Amino acid sequence: MRVPGFVRSRIIAPSDPAAAEVSSKVLKQIYPIIDKIVSWLRAFQLFIKLQQLLQNLLINILAAGPVPQHISFIMDGNRRFAKKMNMPVKRGHEAGGVTLLSLCYVLKKMGVRCVSAYAFSIENFNRPPEEVNALTNMFAVKLDEFARKANDYRDPLYQSRLKIVGDHSLISEEMREKIKRVEEMTNDGDEFTLFICFPYTSRNDIWHATQTSVEECVQQSLEPRALTVEEFNKKMYLNDYSHKCDLLIRTSGHLRLSDYMLWQVHESGDIKFSPTLWPDFKFFQLYLMILNWSFFTTIQRYIFHGSKKSQSKPAFWNRKKSSKYSLEDLPAAPVAVSITGERDPS
Amino acid sequence: MSSEKIAENARLLGGEDVDVSNNRVPPPEASVLKGPSRLKALQAVAHSVAFDEDQNIKTPKNNAFWNQEMGRIQYFICKILLVGMYLVFGSFRYLQYEYNAMKLRVWNVIYNPSNTPQLIRQDVTKLDKIPHRLAAILEMKSAGSVGGGAKGLMNDGSEVVCWTVSAGIKHLILYDFDGILKKNVLEFREEIRAKLSKYFGPSNVPKFALRIPHKNKVYFSNDDSDKVSLEISLLSNRDGRQTIVDLTKTMAELTKSKELKAEDITMRLMDKELTQLVGPEPDLLLYFGPSLDLQGFPPWHLRLTEFHWEQDNNQVAYSIFIRGLHKYSNCKINVGK
Repeated sequence: MRVPGFVRSRIIAPSDPAAAEVSSKVLKQIYPIIDKIVSWLRAFQLFIKLQQLLQNLLINILAAGPVPQHISFIMDGNRRFAKKMNMPVKRGHEAGGVTLLSLCYVLKKMGVRCVSAYAFSIENFNRPPEEVNALTNMFAVKLDEFARKANDYRDPLYQSRLKIVGDHSLISEEMREKIKRVEEMTNDGDEFTLFICFPYTSRNDIWHATQTSVEECVQQSLEPRALTVEEFNKKMYLNDYSHKCDLLIRTSGHLRLSDYMLWQVHESGDIKFSPTLWPDFKFFQLYLMILNWSFFTTIQRYIFHGSKKSQSKPAFWNRKKSSKYSLEDLPAAPVAVSITGERDPS
Repeated sequence: MSSEKIAENARLLGGEDVDVSNNRVPPPEASVLKGPSRLKALQAVAHSVAFDEDQNIKTPKNNAFWNQEMGRIQYFICKILLVGMYLVFGSFRYLQYEYNAMKLRVWNVIYNPSNTPQLIRQDVTKLDKIPHRLAAILEMKSAGSVGGGAKGLMNDGSEVVCWTVSAGIKHLILYDFDGILKKNVLEFREEIRAKLSKYFGPSNVPKFALRIPHKNKVYFSNDDSDKVSLEISLLSNRDGRQTIVDLTKTMAELTKSKELKAEDITMRLMDKELTQLVGPEPDLLLYFGPSLDLQGFPPWHLRLTEFHWEQDNNQVAYSIFIRGLHKYSNCKINVGK
């Protein structure tokens, strides 16, 4: 049976741009109104207090269940955000930086051990030089800010470690010095690690690990065949967190990885794509994604452990194992007599 | 040192066929939705109230100076609230699942190609561009279910092959975690031939070649090897991390014996070797499962690949295939911009 052509062609195109236009027009009219209401409400201290209280409660609730160890972000959409808001591109990147920092507060509180973010790809050096410069300068400023926060005991980010990973041979000497200094400043925190991938691509990461393994083999004259995947893992930029990334979030709607975290995510990582632009990506969206992860992880762990783990049940649960006797323990059976009068010799 | 020789050495090294670890923990959403069960979910949620499975989950110890650690009572209250939230979220997700399943059923009726290559080609000619190389992740369902077992997997694989031939795509990569297709190549070739003769008629079955890059073997559909209309590469988990590590081992050995200089190990060389060992990178990756799960697809080759999957789908269906092509034809590719 074949559906008529006109019906087919109408449904076949995944999304009709015209229909999307209409709905986005409606949304465009609604959003400013909501924004206005929210900003009006923000004027009251009470509202902010309430919002914070609610947020803290929600974080605490989620922290009572399983929480991902390593969350990674691809911060895409800063430039489109700037264009949308009629701002210079630089401001878009700044807004993106603020978003990352505020999400770090939330995640640290939730008990996440490690966050990594894709700040700058090696391919990004192809962008116009003014933008690259602006980005690098802004990045330098942000680094200082973070280091100050990590050392300030009044700040929620106190005692977190900052690591800038990537191919540092591509950036200026001055910048390298700065990175080194900041990393040293924050080196003693071990509760929470923030990896910023600055000039990074995943292929570069894998290649770098290969190169170091080869060099190590030659210099320390190790047996090359003894190399295992685990050892290889440790040579990657994110050393301890290289083997696994629990949740990778990419904003702004592209469904690809763009050379990021390929090694970390391809075995068991959960990848989520969100159509929002990065500066618009707020607490609530992140919260839903983590809730989703946490919910399914609970079930997965139950199914996985449930089959073999019975000792976690309370004592009264384990009734006497009445049927688990060995054959020898049973009382003796009566004498077997055949109809031909044959008897067991006993 | 020629690049062929390095690849050959790496292959020899890999020939010792290291057993691939089978303790992969799949991403939670994908693994749960493959065999969804409301009862199991409810049990799990209820179970999570009473017992802390993971003793190492800490209450947020954030900055003990300001936020003190959660007290017992507070922790308990949070736990109860969490379970409430799970229930709400779970029922919402259940409705969404049912809705999606319904939607997919409707699509499957609408997109039904009924073994006719002309219709598939008609659908494809409307598109602006099609991918040069297509990859698909297939998985074996449990032997008891419908379309399960190795036979079901081969059936799915040959179905995808037929669509790809009809769409006019020249390269196809089929990935399955355990390498079942690889192990049964000859049977799989027969299966494809039978399926193709259903589509194109037994007298003019298109020619194809099955490649197993890991063993460097090619199986042709006919005896003559000229002009194949589709090249199929069969990959498995073996071609992922393990191959990269094998390559590293080989390079280390060669560097030690002074046949290769350490400076010569560049990204370009790595890329060349891995293209030889595994194949080129695909443009579009189709996954026929409920939630994206890459299952250890070779990481080097995923760089810019577009993904397509439909949420809560659980079968290899033509609708997924054609919608993936649609999406690909609309997407914009910009490296670094």
